[in-house]
Amino acid sequence: MFYILLLSALTLLVAALFLTPLRQKMWVAFAAVVAAAIAIAIPAIGVLAEGSEVELMRISSPIFGAESLTMDSLSALFSLVIGIAGVATLLYSRGYLAQYLNKKSSAHISLHYTALVILVISMMLVVISSGGFSFLLAWELMTIASFILILFDAERQQVLRAALAYLIMMHIGFVLLVAGFASIYAITGTGNFADLATCFSSGKTLPIFILFLLGFGMKAGLFPMHVWLPEAHPAAPSHVSAIMSGVMIKTGVYGVMRALWYVVEPSELHTIGLIILAVGVVTGLWGVILAAVQNDAKRLLAYSSIENIGVIFIGLGIATLGQAAGNYLVATIALCGALLHTVNHSMFKSLLFFGAGNIYSQMHTTLLDRFGGVAKHMPMTAILFFIATIAICALPPLNGFIGEFLIYLGMLDSIREGVNTIYAAGGLLALALIGGIVVLAFTKLYSTIFLGSPRDHHVAESMEVDNFRIAAMAIPTVGIITIGMFPQFAIRMVERVANQFFPAATSPIVDMYIAPNLWKISLTAWLLVIIIALLYLLKNRAQRTRTIEQGPTWGCGFTSPNIRMQYTGESYSEPLESITTSLTQNTVEGRAVSKSEIFPSSHGYSIKHKDKIDRLFAAWWMELLHIINKRIMNLRTGKINHYILFALLFLVVIFILSLFNWI
Amino acid sequence: MAIVLNTLLIIITALAIPGVINRTRALLAGRKGLPFSQHLRNVNVLLRKGAVYSTTTTALFRIAPAIYLGAAIVATLMMPVADLYPLISFEGDVICFAYTLALARVAIILAAMDTGSSFEGMGASREALYGALIEPALMIGFATLALFCGYTSFADIFEHEQSFDLHLTIVMLLTAFLFVEITFVESGRVPVDDPKTHLELTMIHEVMCLDYSGIDMGMIHIAGWLKTACFAMIAANAVTATCCFHWWCAVPLAILLTGVAIGVVESTQARNKLSRNTTFIVTISALAALIFFIGYLLKLNINI
Repeated sequence: MFYILLLSALTLLVAALFLTPLRQKMWVAFAAVVAAAIAIAIPAIGVLAEGSEVELMRISSPIFGAESLTMDSLSALFSLVIGIAGVATLLYSRGYLAQYLNKKSSAHISLHYTALVILVISMMLVVISSGGFSFLLAWELMTIASFILILFDAERQQVLRAALAYLIMMHIGFVLLVAGFASIYAITGTGNFADLATCFSSGKTLPIFILFLLGFGMKAGLFPMHVWLPEAHPAAPSHVSAIMSGVMIKTGVYGVMRALWYVVEPSELHTIGLIILAVGVVTGLWGVILAAVQNDAKRLLAYSSIENIGVIFIGLGIATLGQAAGNYLVATIALCGALLHTVNHSMFKSLLFFGAGNIYSQMHTTLLDRFGGVAKHMPMTAILFFIATIAICALPPLNGFIGEFLIYLGMLDSIREGVNTIYAAGGLLALALIGGIVVLAFTKLYSTIFLGSPRDHHVAESMEVDNFRIAAMAIPTVGIITIGMFPQFAIRMVERVANQFFPAATSPIVDMYIAPNLWKISLTAWLLVIIIALLYLLKNRAQRTRTIEQGPTWGCGFTSPNIRMQYTGESYSEPLESITTSLTQNTVEGRAVSKSEIFPSSHGYSIKHKDKIDRLFAAWWMELLHIINKRIMNLRTGKINHYILFALLFLVVIFILSLFNWI
Repeated sequence: MAIVLNTLLIIITALAIPGVINRTRALLAGRKGLPFSQHLRNVNVLLRKGAVYSTTTTALFRIAPAIYLGAAIVATLMMPVADLYPLISFEGDVICFAYTLALARVAIILAAMDTGSSFEGMGASREALYGALIEPALMIGFATLALFCGYTSFADIFEHEQSFDLHLTIVMLLTAFLFVEITFVESGRVPVDDPKTHLELTMIHEVMCLDYSGIDMGMIHIAGWLKTACFAMIAANAVTATCCFHWWCAVPLAILLTGVAIGVVESTQARNKLSRNTTFIVTISALAALIFFIGYLLKLNINI
């Protein structure tokens, strides 16, 4: 029944999208996504308000037996995130795709919108499927849809490569998930998530959990399975990157949380918590360092997504360790932090990718060192991007700070109460370093694009984008500011989910400990904003009666500074690169000015920082093939007598084998 | 009442430290030196001046000093003076303190990059890296305090009357030392940065404010004092907490401990080569981790 419904809905959608005129396609897709978002938001809000569980539909599956679409608090939170991001993405796509309407065929655009709608709907199905067949089906639909979306610019060679790499890696992950569900099925006879409880009590917790962690980690971009992210995001159109990076990778987080929920044995929880924490630390640090050295806006954002997944996993790891130690204070705070950070990241990362899309559509590049001074030409984009930058750097008074604050608080409480002190301190050390380098990465991103003088004449020709895109960007912005300024209300949203994990403990902890603190954070945030505004107004007032002059930037006595001498993104992160050079594989074109050159001549210099882990996936089998090929080439001597000898040897081998009845 | 007193005391500390540094330097160098309140007069002049803005800059450049000072003020409002009570205090305000100061740093970095000057870019780049590397030291320092005192808010950590305990004293004195070191980095002092240098190529903090003048420059100076006072006060609080001193002791301690330490270091040491700064700062982080570990062992009551 469900499958017939799904199939007919998809057919209807495809028909509608392909038949409507070119310019109306977006509105059809938009209507479909809004309808889906509303349809899922109603039960989701109900579940989050009441904390109950709602069964939306029963499904009989061909393989795993009875399944259902069930909405519990965890699903509800993710559904809301998906719905909001989906609507914003569709709204944004109108302006972004406008320039392609004349270039691409009508069928191409239809296919893109079909895939976009299917991606949103399949993600919703992923988070409400109770498991087994329907979950895997939705998961696969999600992969295929996102694959088609990445392929939008398929004329470009690197897009094709990135999309293929993405497809292959996702299917490795898919196989792992199938294996996971198959092992549930083998043990219990059904293939639902709920049966994980039985599996985990049968003593095979760790292998099965790791299977799921690997499968979901592939989607989430856990180290070292993150290599598809920095390839796929620059290749995909910006609104697709926004929804993939902001939301789709979160389905991986969702999966891990879902599987984690069924683990109860403290000793196993301890091991799993340690694994998750360690993976989170490595993913976070690797992501942020690689992000800081990138010179392409979208690659930088992709690596920053990896880093944020790392931060979420650090929170999750601390929560699990706390739960293992029976310390529900730590567990609840850290889990709330991880969940809130998941929500927050979906907002500011969508906003950042939308911003990157704006500048890409104006200047047709995402290379940082081609920009400069964009803020003067695209003021709205600059302001919104600034808000997202502050948010992603986890700075007060915006939402990024709230999520990380809770994760930090979880770790400090863990240290304070003397449970898992050393692990928590390790996490704290890593998170502090991540937090510091994020500032470096994003001040680099923001200042090279929006500030300073233009490095390229395209900047001068750029204009602010249309209002639909600004409206689309306003949706996450509202969320960023609201959660940042009123965290005491935002916490109620994730409280239900934490409650699902730790039923008895959560509400008192949130009521007595977290919410009062967040009230004070809210007051502090308002105080901060008011003080800053007051200072600015006072300064302006004082300056009204004084002489305010304009002049060129002070050149430090150097009489003819020019734009080319500005600090580039590369030079900005060079000090960091000099200490992290062992993590990247640098390809240099041209030659830098050496220290011994007293009168430097003209030099061309271009450097690319590639991930060392890339080699692990892309290169090793190629190199292996090369080596094998070389060995085999030795046999090709070109002499006819050798070839006759080989034929003879072959016959001898066949003869010997048949003697022993081996063939 | 205690809150008002607390705020007043920390402001006094902030205003006094630069004077103490200057007097210490003058004394050690055998000079007559600047009068104690010279820095106040300088800023007073700045606050009454007009301004010159670069044509390259955007509105961000004009808002940045307000953000810088605003964030520093909010951070200062979280800082208790020994057992007094600050205006803002909640569980985990140590994290809020660190991130509010990070906001200040981001504002000044972006403002520096806004001018499009290669010199200011240089300073911004260094500030961003050093800020990133000092962050773990700061957080682990707070973690040590949380581990030993059992609280995650400055007011609770320093307020509680501790009975004299050798272990606590050891850890607190080490933490005080750590925070004095962090003060060197955060307030841009020798050996990391030299505020008196005249060569833009070797500057860090000063070069980022090259294009500021008038009120903006004054605000940046005041924010710098407040930041220094916050870190000095943490160090002083750590000492007073071990020896059961009260607030009347913490203020002179903060002023003298940090002021004299900075003055002595600036008179006796040359600043680091820039390439050595990274090592220096990472060493502070390593030191912080070591102090945390010592604290952990002492907490477990293992004799070392």
